Amino acid sequence: MSETAAPTKTEQKRAINRLKSMYPLRNLVQQDYIDTLQASSEGKPTVWSMLNYWEGDLPLKAMGLNIVYPENYSTLLASTGTAEPFLDASDSDGFPTHMCGYGRSTIGYSYRMMKELGGKIPPEAPVGGMAKPTLLLGSGIICDARFKWFQALGRYFDAPQWCLEMPMMPTFEGSEPDLEEYQVKFLTREVKAFIEFLEKLLQKKMDWARLEELIDLAVRIHETTWQISELRQSVPGPMHSTDFWSSMPPSLFFAGDMKVALKLYQDMLSEVQDRVNNKVAAINYPEKYRIVFAELPPWHSLKFFDSLAEKGWNFVYESYGYHAPKPPDLNKTSDPCEKLARLARNFIFNIHEHARADNISNPLVEQYLRIARGFKVDGFFLHPLISCRAASAGLRSVQEFMLRKLDVPTLWVEGDIIDKRVFNPQETLARAEAFEQTMDHYRKVRQSKGLGW
Amino acid sequence: MAIAINKGLSLAHDIYEDRGRRVRELRKAGRKTIGYICLYPPVEIITALGMVPFRIFGNMSEPITLADQVSTTVVCPFLRSIIDLGMKGKFDFLDGVVGAHTCDIGAGIIIQWRDYVKDTPFTHLIDVPHTDHPPAVEYFAGQLNSFKRHLEEHAGQKLTDDKLKKAVELHNTQRRLVRQLYDLRKPDPPLLTSAENLEVMVALFSLPVEEGNDLLEDVIKQVSERSDRPGRKKARLLVWGPVFDNTSLFKLIESAGASVVVDDTCVGTRAFWADVKAPYDLQALAQRYLVDIKCPRTYRQAEPAETRRDYDKDLDSRFNYIRKAVVDWNVNGAVLQSVKYCDTHGYEVPNLRHYLDTLGIPSIYIEHDYSERSLAPIKTRVEAFVETLG
Ligand code: SF4
Ligand code: SF4
Repeated sequence: MSETAAPTKTEQKRAINRLKSMYPLRNLVQQDYIDTLQASSEGKPTVWSMLNYWEGDLPLKAMGLNIVYPENYSTLLASTGTAEPFLDASDSDGFPTHMCGYGRSTIGYSYRMMKELGGKIPPEAPVGGMAKPTLLLGSGIICDARFKWFQALGRYFDAPQWCLEMPMMPTFEGSEPDLEEYQVKFLTREVKAFIEFLEKLLQKKMDWARLEELIDLAVRIHETTWQISELRQSVPGPMHSTDFWSSMPPSLFFAGDMKVALKLYQDMLSEVQDRVNNKVAAINYPEKYRIVFAELPPWHSLKFFDSLAEKGWNFVYESYGYHAPKPPDLNKTSDPCEKLARLARNFIFNIHEHARADNISNPLVEQYLRIARGFKVDGFFLHPLISCRAASAGLRSVQEFMLRKLDVPTLWVEGDIIDKRVFNPQETLARAEAFEQTMDHYRKVRQSKGLGW
Repeated sequence: MAIAINKGLSLAHDIYEDRGRRVRELRKAGRKTIGYICLYPPVEIITALGMVPFRIFGNMSEPITLADQVSTTVVCPFLRSIIDLGMKGKFDFLDGVVGAHTCDIGAGIIIQWRDYVKDTPFTHLIDVPHTDHPPAVEYFAGQLNSFKRHLEEHAGQKLTDDKLKKAVELHNTQRRLVRQLYDLRKPDPPLLTSAENLEVMVALFSLPVEEGNDLLEDVIKQVSERSDRPGRKKARLLVWGPVFDNTSLFKLIESAGASVVVDDTCVGTRAFWADVKAPYDLQALAQRYLVDIKCPRTYRQAEPAETRRDYDKDLDSRFNYIRKAVVDWNVNGAVLQSVKYCDTHGYEVPNLRHYLDTLGIPSIYIEHDYSERSLAPIKTRVEAFVETLG
């Protein structure tokens, strides 16, 4: 990983070597916004949903519903610089300012739509906006904001609501005998109750065959994205974090047509495999440092990664919460509700299994230790957020364990997913320069300890 | 008018000032002590196994120093204060600690305790579902069963039905007595101040249930007979919000010219209003803790699986217990307080204020970072608010 010749002029144009297969995947999510607007204008039901790790997405899709995800929409507001007036609207309606930026921007959007524009989409909203919801689907996974903020939206919309369940516990309680079956039973009953609710709401029956078909597609999509992730361990890293973030919606919440998405991910797998075979890096500069980004990115300042790429920083992995794990074997059961329960539960509990094996109580830490070893990581870019507890709370532990156990240093850069005023790219670049010396130092330490990279 | 402090209140005050005092004594005498965080670990199971439950609070007057090394500043300062005190060895009299998934950040505290607060032989986290759906109640009963099994191992004894029944009766008695104590603030002026009341509540969380019940009987008798009552104030307020375990806020409000006559916080009514119903088994505990405790951390609907939603009906189904308190305690204003970064309470604020508006109850919302220092700037706002109620 030593530095070589300076880049040519053409190479300088693009510091990050984007995957061609990323673009059509990135575009798929746009279609959902357009389809939902169309459905709404035809008087058809539309759903606002939280990321729910698939237990809710697939029944909704099987019922033919059009879905948008306000969390995703908030990233659009941030990246297009249009979030601020919506945040102000949330504040002016009395919501505390310390809460999640995604929540506040959706609340402000809803306030503007319902209280100022009589139900019309705010004209300043990017990609045509989110159509008015006829169902709000909250989720109890990852953070409390994800069902409390939808409950709060009752203030603007009379749309019915549902909150999906997900068991949640730390590593060691998660090792009780029969726990998996007990949790699967709970989740299966919850999924069934949710489907009964949908049937009652829509006055039509679930198309079980369609649901089976979608579950099968989901498993194949996750198999493929998991294989892509595994390939990213190669040196030089073949896929940059920015490409991952741009292409994740069709696997994270199955944006777009799932058959199309599967084909596009298969294309991506071939392209990444090609790069691995030919040792092509994800940056157009010699890979000098292999970095992991944790957790949610500064959507408003993604260009910043170009500057780091120019310095030879290759972001080889990122954001555990956005990655679907290797799917479980669903052939144990023929009940589609149980299949969904197992698929969703797997997201949380597969990291617990690893943590137990390592005797570590914090699964997030374990996850990143494993990644640091597998991906031969030189440093972590930790991005604690002013408005998201869930993605920030464990980062000090990651920082501490990483150095203690693996001699991998971390760069701690405060920022936010929405509020760009908190993030200072200039200052961060200066700190990054100093951090390079730290990474160089610890590389020598690891080598002297025989850690393998 | 100065209030003479009588015996029961004086004992409560002493325990409030040194919460670990009695628990340390009992531990010396051979009893095991189990700390718990938030309201959701069922104290009945701890009591039934012969151990002393001790509710863990932070300390609003102690600056957070060590916790900054292991947690970020956007984590609820109440939880950060707990970890900070733990790292400083201030809970060294506990043989165990139990947490519950009351909120997602709260759940993570057990992980931090395991990693950074050393020498606690027993730790356990109870998963609490997010809804009160029937499958969730059943799942939660299963969680209580795992907790029971784990604590039995630690206690070296089995939890029999009989022991559980006796413990439930004792805790239900405590709840009944607390409700009686709150009745003493229904008259105008109330018979005790909210700061005195809070000291009693904090003492109850620091004593074995039998001793807490004795204390309550004593306090109720003494307060009912006292001649030196608090003076009459121009407003009768309700205080709402997450954990508030320090008398400073209540003193601040009372010095602004209002009485706090009732609350909806987890150091007050929220902890004591619901009884465990017969038969006193794990299912009944699951029902009491998940369904009957009214904390914003649980998602509730006016009707299960409702396909039409009406905002006013929704608010009434979630907050009508507050309406009842407003009527019963003759409340004419409300102070909504929350610790910063508490999502479960934060999202509730505009909706609850709207609900209070429909009841004709003016309200203010104040935010603090769980430190006495952060209350000072709030004083002027509280005074101005009380002024408007005159
Ligand atoms: S995980 Fe963070 S950003 Fe996402 S909804 Fe929760 S608080 Fe908001
Ligand atoms: S105050 Fe709020 S954030 Fe803190 S532990 Fe309680 S519910 Fe959780």
